Amino acid sequence: MYRWLDERLSLSRLNKKFLRKAFPVHHSFFLGEITMFAFITLVLTGVFLSFNYEPSTRLIKHLGKEVPAAYASVLYIDSLPFGAVLRSVHHWSASIMIAAAFLHLLRILISGAYKKPREINWLLGLALLGLSVVTSFTGYSLPFDAFSVTATQIGYGIGASMPYMGEWISQLIFGGEYPTLHSIPRVYSLHVLWFPLLLAALIGAHMLVMLKQKHTQPAYAEKVAPGKILGVPMMPQQGFMMGVLFLLYLAVVFFIAGTWIAHPVEVFGPPTASTPAVKPDWYFIWIYGILQIIPGDLKVSLPFGAVMNSEFIGGVMIPGILGVVAVLLPFLDTRKTKLRYMELPTRHPVRTSVTFALLAFMLTTTLAGWKEEFGFSNGQLWAIIIISTLATYLVSYLIIISYWGRPPKGEAEEA
Amino acid sequence: MYRNDTVLPFFGILFGVALWYMAYLDGEHIARLAGHTPEELSVGQLGLITFGIVFFLFGAIGYISAWLEGSELRPGKHEPPGGVVPMVVIFLLVLLLAGLSGLFVNAIVYGLTEGPVKPAFMGQLAAAILLVMTLLLVVFKKFFVPDEVLVEDEHSEVPW
Repeated sequence: MYRWLDERLSLSRLNKKFLRKAFPVHHSFFLGEITMFAFITLVLTGVFLSFNYEPSTRLIKHLGKEVPAAYASVLYIDSLPFGAVLRSVHHWSASIMIAAAFLHLLRILISGAYKKPREINWLLGLALLGLSVVTSFTGYSLPFDAFSVTATQIGYGIGASMPYMGEWISQLIFGGEYPTLHSIPRVYSLHVLWFPLLLAALIGAHMLVMLKQKHTQPAYAEKVAPGKILGVPMMPQQGFMMGVLFLLYLAVVFFIAGTWIAHPVEVFGPPTASTPAVKPDWYFIWIYGILQIIPGDLKVSLPFGAVMNSEFIGGVMIPGILGVVAVLLPFLDTRKTKLRYMELPTRHPVRTSVTFALLAFMLTTTLAGWKEEFGFSNGQLWAIIIISTLATYLVSYLIIISYWGRPPKGEAEEA
Repeated sequence: MYRNDTVLPFFGILFGVALWYMAYLDGEHIARLAGHTPEELSVGQLGLITFGIVFFLFGAIGYISAWLEGSELRPGKHEPPGGVVPMVVIFLLVLLLAGLSGLFVNAIVYGLTEGPVKPAFMGQLAAAILLVMTLLLVVFKKFFVPDEVLVEDEHSEVPW
């Protein structure tokens, strides 16, 4: 059989060219693989969900009550044997994909792997993280329960606050001013077709560029095989490791998803006229936190009658500035020669400390999302955010240079 | 970042467990405030458990990778040790897998004919099956798959 196929498709050549590719071995590379396996799980569980979900807000009778068809179809999915678990796995995997992609990005950042020649893959990775968040957000609205409708309205409001084009973009995504009759079909199409296709294309491009440029290697590889790629063949060794990780991923996620159903729609109930007190999903809480601590009446007038309001400044502009800095990073912090080996974070105290400070900023702005519950004033929260961010930078910088010393000048510039 | 050691994976597992425990304490706090245990997780709990899962997976696969592949690669071919004990372990794991799979199919059929089966039971049963499959693959790779470490030119024809 193999010979028959080989004569027609030159499988032995494929094996020699692709399946013998050397994969460097380092535990930190698995963060990218966790992201990819989360995406695969999302596609597989998403197929099951799409067989049973009805993307419509028309009212139907369910157990004697009139509820939206979308909401009723999610209750139907939950009633199927294993249905609630698969829906919960889908929800948890969406969260895991975002968290793993974020940690993968931090690994790239602290090991300098965004530098020449990997600038393109850094940009593709940023696009993937952004698109993962948007795709997850569109999925959040689909159950059409009281919680998801209110949480989606917060996101809709932030998107619509962009001067000149915000209202237009938000209405394009949600088929009008959310929630309308057209919202769910429009968002459903984006969530199950166009965004996953775009994600798959970006992941393919990310992989292809990585295969061409090779991984950055662990630093010890320079000692063992200088100037070469040291690694295990893709098949069978790397294939086995990927299989182990995928099965382990599924084991952990099925355990968690079965034990804690991520979004129990029957608890939240169908949408009602009164708005329940909800917060957006966890990956938006840091933005929600910023919105909580800037004055609600903040307004900056722009030409042609447009206005920059507090929603835009807190929800779009501040995250946007961070995004622009991330896009520019590989062109600002660059090097003349090709980066072959992962840089040690301790040899780059400024970059490592800035990364920790960024984490402190995101953690404290997330804390601000619970402003009312903690009873903090805006002044207190601003002080916590600013002091924590600066103190984290200073403390981590001092720890690194006092424990590992300052890097030699040449090393800091080139390696 | 220097070698494939278990320092960061150790902290990964530690962080994972700590984040999960924080989510548990958060749940206890919410239950105290509400006067009952809510049926849903808060967004804070969801975020903490999510990062807990990723850190735990990173730590676990880090330990497995260090055990199966070593902390530093050495070029060449390396024969697997093989042995009777791993063979017996694989046999027992296959038996366990068959038993658990049978139970899973029964639970699905029961759900279709008799009525709903608790999601927690189904999820944990599926997790047990997948965990046994993971262990099977790990033991097989460690004791029966020959290892090979390649040294490749940086400028290859892959993919173009």
